[in-house]
Amino acid sequence: MKRIDTEILVIGGGATGTGVAWDAVLRGFDVVLVERRDLTHGTSGRYHGLLHSGGRYAVKDPHGAEECIVENQILRRTHAHCIEDTSGFFVVTPEDELSDYPQRFQKACKEIGIPCMEIPLREAFRREPLLNPSISRVFEVPDASADSFLAAHSTVNAARELGARILTYHEVTDLLLEGADGDRRVVGARVYDEVDGQEVEIRARMVINAAGAWSGKIAAMGGAEVTILPSKGTMVAMNHRVVNTVVNRCHMPSDGDIIVPSHTVAVLGTTSITVADPEHLKIHAWEVQKMLDEAEKMVPGISQARALRAWAGVRPLYQERYEGGGRDVTRGLTLLDHKKRDGVAGLLTITGGKWTTFRLMAEATMDSACEQMGVQRPCRTATTPVPGVDQGHYWLGHRLHDVESERLQGELVCECELVTRAMVESAVRHNPTLTIDDLRRDVRLGKGPCQGGFCTYRAVGILHEMRQRGSWKGAMGDDEASPARWEAAYLQSPAHAAHEDGVESESDAQEAETPPFVPNLLLRDFLQERWKGVVPILWGQQLRQERLDELIYLSLMNADHLPDAELASPVTAFYHFDVTVRAEEPAHD
Amino acid sequence: MIDLLVIGAGLSGLVAAQTAADAGLRVRIISKGLNALHWSAGTVDVLGYLPDVGTPVEAPLGAVESLQRPEHPYRRLGRQRVEAVLSDFVSLSQRLALPYKGAAAQGINLLLPSPAGAARPSFLAPEAQHNGNLREQSPMLIVGFHRLRDFYPELIAENLSRQGYQARAAFLPIALITDRDDFNTVQLAGAVERPEHVQRLGKALQRLARPGERIGLPAMLGMERHNEVMAQLQKTTGATIFEIPTLPPSVPGIRLFRRLQEHLRQSGVRVEAGMEAIGASTSGRPPRVDWVATETSARPLRHRARYFLLATGGILGGGFASDHTGRVREVVFDLPLSVPQRRNSWFRTSFLDPRGHPVFEGGVRVNDAGQPVDEDGHILYENLWAAGDVLAGADPIQERSLEGIAIATGAAAGQSIVATHTAVNGTSAVPNGAAATSSTRNSS
Repeated sequence: MKRIDTEILVIGGGATGTGVAWDAVLRGFDVVLVERRDLTHGTSGRYHGLLHSGGRYAVKDPHGAEECIVENQILRRTHAHCIEDTSGFFVVTPEDELSDYPQRFQKACKEIGIPCMEIPLREAFRREPLLNPSISRVFEVPDASADSFLAAHSTVNAARELGARILTYHEVTDLLLEGADGDRRVVGARVYDEVDGQEVEIRARMVINAAGAWSGKIAAMGGAEVTILPSKGTMVAMNHRVVNTVVNRCHMPSDGDIIVPSHTVAVLGTTSITVADPEHLKIHAWEVQKMLDEAEKMVPGISQARALRAWAGVRPLYQERYEGGGRDVTRGLTLLDHKKRDGVAGLLTITGGKWTTFRLMAEATMDSACEQMGVQRPCRTATTPVPGVDQGHYWLGHRLHDVESERLQGELVCECELVTRAMVESAVRHNPTLTIDDLRRDVRLGKGPCQGGFCTYRAVGILHEMRQRGSWKGAMGDDEASPARWEAAYLQSPAHAAHEDGVESESDAQEAETPPFVPNLLLRDFLQERWKGVVPILWGQQLRQERLDELIYLSLMNADHLPDAELASPVTAFYHFDVTVRAEEPAHD
Repeated sequence: MIDLLVIGAGLSGLVAAQTAADAGLRVRIISKGLNALHWSAGTVDVLGYLPDVGTPVEAPLGAVESLQRPEHPYRRLGRQRVEAVLSDFVSLSQRLALPYKGAAAQGINLLLPSPAGAARPSFLAPEAQHNGNLREQSPMLIVGFHRLRDFYPELIAENLSRQGYQARAAFLPIALITDRDDFNTVQLAGAVERPEHVQRLGKALQRLARPGERIGLPAMLGMERHNEVMAQLQKTTGATIFEIPTLPPSVPGIRLFRRLQEHLRQSGVRVEAGMEAIGASTSGRPPRVDWVATETSARPLRHRARYFLLATGGILGGGFASDHTGRVREVVFDLPLSVPQRRNSWFRTSFLDPRGHPVFEGGVRVNDAGQPVDEDGHILYENLWAAGDVLAGADPIQERSLEGIAIATGAAAGQSIVATHTAVNGTSAVPNGAAATSSTRNSS
C-alpha cells in the first residue's frame, strides 16, 4: 500500500476544501487534499454563481450578511479574475409592494454596512431594459457573478505552487484512529485511488473534513455523529444573458427569486428541498416550472426563451444534536471541533456557509487546527491574492476579444463557449482530466446551446491525439512537463493558451503507454452527462437541438456501436442516475 | 394554379416533387430553411437496426416484413414498393451524375466507416463513400489534416483496427489546400477543387500510401467538381480514394441536395426557401385544404394548390413544435400526432438506449396512400399527403432509416398524388407549360 505523510489532510475538493488547503499551505504546513471526483464536482460546481453582497440575508440573517459583505470585498482583491463585477439589483415587483420588506431591507443593509442605494427607475431600465416595467423600486448592492470552477482551480494552483499535493479521484474509505474511547485521535485516512485502482494510506497531524454534504459520512468514520440536512437547490440556465446585473426580488428570500448572469448565460435559482441522499438529486418538473414562473415576475417573457440545462446542488445545512456542543463560530458557518465535542482529537469538520464565505471558513478552520496543534501561525489568505488577479475582473467579452485579436476562429473546438483546441490541450496538461466533464468544468466546453453536440467528438479526438503522443496521461495531468508560469486563469483565456509552447507536431501514432483512458468511454460518458442535465428542460427549440445531437451521434457517428461498450468509468453510473422527467408534487419540506 | 405544393425541401419533399413533376404536374416547393441533408452523412440509410430491440440488420429489405409495428412506413408500403422506389433513386442519382451504389451482394447493407471509426450500416452510398465499404478487405490509410477540427483520423483508425479492419492514420498540413485561418469542410471542398491543390494533395497522398492501401479522407473532396477531384486523386495516387463523413456541415449531403435542386429546376420546379408555413385554410365536406399561409419578412402569403404534401420533418426539421406542458403540435395543419403528450413519458434514462426515446417516434398517422388520417383511419383532408420524418411509426435516427423512409414515402406520396390527379383528369396528365418542356427533355 502506498503511504503518504503530511501535516494537514484536507478531505473535499470544493470551495471550502481548496480554501483550507490554500490557507494551510500559506501558514507553512505540508498539505495533502483528497477529492473523490474532480474539483468542484459537488456543491461548489452546482450553485448559481453568486458572490453575495449580503443583501439577500440582510433582513433574515444579519450576522451571515455581515460575513458576506466582508468576504465580498476580500475576494474582489484575492480572486479578482474569478469575479465579474455585475453589481446587483433588488427589485420591488407588484407582488412585493404591499410589504414593508423594502424599508426593512434598506435599514438592515445600512446597519450591517452593505452599500445599498436606491436608483432611479429610469436608470434601472436603461441598464436592464428587459426588467418588468411594473417594478416600482430598485436598490443596488455590490452583488457579483463568480466563477466557482476557476476560483477552485486558482486557489488549488496557488497552493500547489507552495507544495500542496492535490489528489483528485481519491475517495476516503476510512479514517485512521488511534487510542481508546474518550481519548481517540484521528491520525490520517485510508483512501482509494479510483484511477490507479489502489489503496493509499495518508497520515497527518490534523484531518480537516470539508466534504460538504458528505461530511456526516466522513465524521462517522471518526466515530463522531454529524447530522447534515442536505438541502437541494435546483437551477436552470437560459441561453441568453437576459440581464447583465444580478437581479433579486426584494422580499424575504424564497424559491426562484434570483437571476444571475454567468458568462454567456443567465442562471435562474433556486429551490430548497431537504433530500435524503446528496448524491442523487432528482429534478422535478414543478421545480423547473417554478423557476421559470418566478423569473417571469422579474423579466417578463423569460420563460419563452430557451432553457439550456437544469441541475441541482445540495447545501450542507448542519443540524446540531448535542446541546452545548462545540459549534457556532458564527451563524453562517459551522466548525465542529471533535476533540471538544466528541473526544476525538485530530479531526475538524467545517460545513454550512456559502461559496462567498469559503475563505472565512478556511481561516476559522485553520485557526482551530493551529490551536489544537499548539502552534501560532497567522492566516494570510485575506491579503494574499492568488495568481491571475492581475487580469482584473472577468468581463463577458474577454474570450471573444482574444479570439478576434489572435484570429483563433479556426481553432474553436466549442463555438458556443469559444473554447480553442489549445485551451483544451493546456487544461489537460495542467489539470487532472479523467472525463470530458472535467474539461467542461475547466474551460466551459459543452456548456452552450448545443450542449456538447459538436465539441464532444472534437474533445475526444483531441484527447486521443494527446494520448497517442503521451501528453495526456489521464487523471494526474502532467505537471512536471508544464511551463512554470502557467496560471489557472489561463483556463479561461484563448490568447494565453495559444501562446503556450509544446505545440504538437507530426505524429508516429504509437501505442499509448497508459491504456485505461479510452476515447469511446469518454464519448459515451459525456453524451450521457449532458443528457442528464438537459432532460428536465427538453422541449421547443432545445428538443430540436437534442435531435440534431442524436443525428450526429447515432446516424453519423454510430457512437452506440463503438468498441468498449462494456467499460465504465468511476462516474458512468452517476451520469445514469435519476434521468427522468418527474411530474409528482414536491416532497414535504 | 399549381397542382402540387410541397411544404419542405428535405429529401422526402424533393423526391415527391420530382416524381410529380416527371408526370407532368405543376409543382412548387416552399421551405423555411434547408434540410437534414446538410447535417447527415449523405448516404441512404434504409434500416440499420431493428426498432425496439436494436438488433443489427444485414438485409434491410428482407427485414421490412418482419417489422413488428403495423404503422411503420415500410410495413405500410411493403417490400416491393420500397425496393422499386430505391431502385428509381439509384437511376435518378445516375442522372444527377452523383451515382449511389449498394453492396455487391444484392440487398446487403454496406458498412461504412463513421467519423468515430464505427461501422455505419448504410444501404446506398455515393461512390466516394462506397469505396470505403468495410466489407471489402483491403487495408486503409485514414488521412486527416492538422487543425481540421471536424475529423480525427487516429481515432477512426484505432477504432477500425479494434474491430478487425486493417487501418492506420496519417496527417497532412491543411496548408496544402487553404491558407485561411478559419475554415470548414464546405470551404475546403471548394478550395480543393483548384487544379494546383488537387495536384499537391495527390502527390502528398502518394508519398503516404503503401501499395495496396485505399486512402480515406474527410468528405470534402470537391463540391461541384467532386467527380473530377476524385478521378484526379485516384489517378495521381494509383490508389482507391474514399470519403468519410465529417461533423456538419455535410459536404456529401449538400452535393446531393444541390443536384436534386438543380434537376428540379430543370423540370420547372422552384425551391423557395425562407417561406415558413405557419397555417392553412380548409373548408368543405369532406374537408379540403384551400391554401397554406407562409410568413416571410416582406408579407404573409397564401399558397393555393390542388394537392398539398406535408414534408416539414418532425421535431428535427421543425415540423413539430413542443412546449413545457408536454404538448407536441404539427405546425401547419395541426394534424393529430401519435407523440405522447406527457413530458414524463418522452425520454428514457440512457441517451444511447437502443429503444430510442418515445418522443421521437411518434408523428402523423397516414393511410396506405400516404394521406393523414384520424385515429379511426378516416382521411382528414381529401387533398393532403404527408411524407418523411413527419410520419408516425418510426424513429428514423434510432433505426438508421432517415433517408430510406424519406425517399420511400416521398416517392410513394408523389405517385399517389399523380394517380389521384390522373383519376380526376381522366387519362394521364397532360403536360403543359415549362414543366412539360423540361420533363420531356429529361426523359429523352
